[in-house]
Amino acid sequence: MKNHLISTDTITSSTRRQLLMGGAGAIALLALPGCDRSAVKEAASGNAASGVKTLVMTQSTDFNTGTMMAQNNPNLSIMRVIFNSLTEYDPKTMEPKPSLASSWKMSDDQKSLTLDLRTDVLFHDGAKFTSADVLAALAFMQKDGVPSQVKHNAKIVTASAPSESQVVLTLQHPVSNIFDMLEMMVIPQKDSYEKMLTGAAFVGTGPFKVDSYKHGQGMSLSANDKYFKGRPKIDKVEVQIVAEASSRVASLKTGASHISMDLPPLDITGLIADAKFANVIAETWDSAMYVASNVTVAPLDKKEVRQAIAWSVDRDAIVNKVLSGIGQTSSLPWSKSSPAYDEAAVGHYKYNPEKAKQMIEAAGASGKEVKICYVAAQAGFASVAEIVQAGINATGLKATMVPMQAADFFKGLSGEGLPGLFVNGHGFGQLRPATLLKGAFPFNADKNASRFSNDQYKALSNAIWQNTDATKAKAQYDEINKLLLDEQFVSDLALGAHTYTISTRVKGLAYTALDYLILDQADLG
Amino acid sequence: MLRYALRRIPSGLLILAVASVVIFLLLRATGGDPAAVKAGPDASPETIAAIRTSLGLDLPLPVQYFRWLTGLFTGDLGYSLVTGAPLASLIGNGLQATFVLTFAASLLSVGIGLVLGIVIAVSSGTGRSVLDGVASMMLAVPTYVSGVLLILVLSVTFNVLPVGGYRPLLDDPQIGVQYLAMPAICLALPAAGVLARFLATSMRQVMDEDFVRTGMAKGLGRGRLLLRHILPNALPPVFTVLGIQVGQMLGGAIVVEAIFAWPGIGSVLANATLARDYFLIQDLLLIAVAVFIVIQIVTDLAHAALDSRVRLEQPSS
Repeated sequence: MKNHLISTDTITSSTRRQLLMGGAGAIALLALPGCDRSAVKEAASGNAASGVKTLVMTQSTDFNTGTMMAQNNPNLSIMRVIFNSLTEYDPKTMEPKPSLASSWKMSDDQKSLTLDLRTDVLFHDGAKFTSADVLAALAFMQKDGVPSQVKHNAKIVTASAPSESQVVLTLQHPVSNIFDMLEMMVIPQKDSYEKMLTGAAFVGTGPFKVDSYKHGQGMSLSANDKYFKGRPKIDKVEVQIVAEASSRVASLKTGASHISMDLPPLDITGLIADAKFANVIAETWDSAMYVASNVTVAPLDKKEVRQAIAWSVDRDAIVNKVLSGIGQTSSLPWSKSSPAYDEAAVGHYKYNPEKAKQMIEAAGASGKEVKICYVAAQAGFASVAEIVQAGINATGLKATMVPMQAADFFKGLSGEGLPGLFVNGHGFGQLRPATLLKGAFPFNADKNASRFSNDQYKALSNAIWQNTDATKAKAQYDEINKLLLDEQFVSDLALGAHTYTISTRVKGLAYTALDYLILDQADLG
Repeated sequence: MLRYALRRIPSGLLILAVASVVIFLLLRATGGDPAAVKAGPDASPETIAAIRTSLGLDLPLPVQYFRWLTGLFTGDLGYSLVTGAPLASLIGNGLQATFVLTFAASLLSVGIGLVLGIVIAVSSGTGRSVLDGVASMMLAVPTYVSGVLLILVLSVTFNVLPVGGYRPLLDDPQIGVQYLAMPAICLALPAAGVLARFLATSMRQVMDEDFVRTGMAKGLGRGRLLLRHILPNALPPVFTVLGIQVGQMLGGAIVVEAIFAWPGIGSVLANATLARDYFLIQDLLLIAVAVFIVIQIVTDLAHAALDSRVRLEQPSS
């Protein structure tokens, strides 16, 4: 028999006192926030009494310092904050505007571009910006191991610097997308590349200079007093890496941060119901979702099967359920700002399960299996894959989901191939069409993720790339759209957008044609 | 005791050597390509191949393995395959943050676990059932749930603690401890629940021992009996559990660090694993094995110090 000698009612008063003292200690620990300095108040101040305006941003993933010459989502928040490019598109009209280059002139044969550079620009380390920095950027970008989607697009034969303030680019042949390259190629100080690659230093000409960067934690920046477009109104910028979306939302709600990039659409909808928050949509709409086929895998080797799949997908469900309405359905990769955009053609494929089923039966593919690969960690694409699967299964095909880790998915995408369909995203629909056709790997006519090889496609892509005559371009775009809609090696589903969810205290936010955040005129109210 | 600790070193080194081979080979067997991740989206196969070559990933596996070992022995850990960051600082900063978090969580879990365990042990009836339920809930609620709840209550509703982030304690203790409080509480709760339940059970077993009854008969005060005789005899098995819990906290820190944007080694390891950042994962896993070996040795030593019946030294034959 158990004989518990001690019970609650027999605890001595001294034991109770000790317990009470322990409890008091715990309360004291919890009372720490009540001390004279509060982390909450300091984080939420932004407009601190000291007069230092600090803008705090959060994003889910760390920067990728190895891809500073490419468009890469984790870097969108800092690229245009630290650096400038030679020219900069107006994101509404896609007309190139002066930036580090004050003016330019293309030769009559369209094979030589002379850029006049500003002479009043200083790097963050005090060095003067000259043509040598431009040549260094070009040379760095052209290196084999340096990722850049546009590095091979310009076909630059020579780059020379007749003076400190002039650069001449000689091209192998005319290209229609030279300004896409100039937009994407930021200009770091010419001796800073090694440090930039390891994250040790970022020396640009932009409105903010980097004070510190800690991998996985974030970056601290302060205003560049000598910024050539005028000192920014914000004094400091903090970019924090916060993996959890719910924590980023809570951070905005408590005022600890002012901007959060690319929150899940459902969280955005919840936040902007409160008048204290707003959502800035980058209206370049260059965050496209697609399902593509490895055309060497049966039954996806049949064009009719790929077309049937395009008819089977409920694109409206993707826009409404996955993107919470922040998007547009589309059958083509182009955003409205693209010269290849065609209002009628983008609506070509509409949800039509009956037609899809008939086409699958006619192709003799009923009962055949197809795999749908996607990156499991990307919730949006996982949901798109589910909608695609539901549509395909209704046609008589049997679709199975293959969730993958990013490293496996991208290895398959670029190397050994994926075993069927794959759901992913692409950009560049807002730029010159040649950049997507030659630079975005899903569409690259010479070598693409779908293993699609077609002489007409290659010829058309090259023609569009080399044509600088706008009057000829329209017919070429019509032809490429027809081919893309017909072949369906990539079935575009919806155009989404990068978003910046902000506290309404934030004013003057802008973005570039590549969705890089611009803080030149940003302020905290 | 020192001889015991020294005797464990060769076996520890052997475990590390075997672990290094297993870790190296398993990582390569999982597939994926860090070069493809480093290259970013839309990279051409040619660019990825060039990156692979520059990183030495196309070298034979034995060469890659011995390069890694050579780096470890010479203190040159190299750079992250994906981010390009120096591994020494990446791991150093991450470990520092995680150790601070785990240490604080361990202290909290011991404090909460001791108090709750004692109270459960000495209580009875409904009170005991309620407290038992509290302890069960503490260990049953996953940290990703308790973390979000803590944020909702302490940050969003009452706004007394920051949602997340990190400030080194040495830089600014007053602010740093406020950033530390919530993740430490979140990480400590499950361990505190386990410790409380173990301690309560252990204490109740000791209470049934004859020496307790003898002490009572000799007129020892109940408080003295509880704290001087029952608790010390009930603690040794709890210490063994504590060692395991600290190890689990190091592992569980991954989730807590993600929720509270705490820049510890957990988030570094999670990102490295997703990106197949081989060198970084290898180093981190090897460190984890080493830490577990050390924790086990320390736990054994502590157990022996607390319980004179446990002898670590084997009698020489």
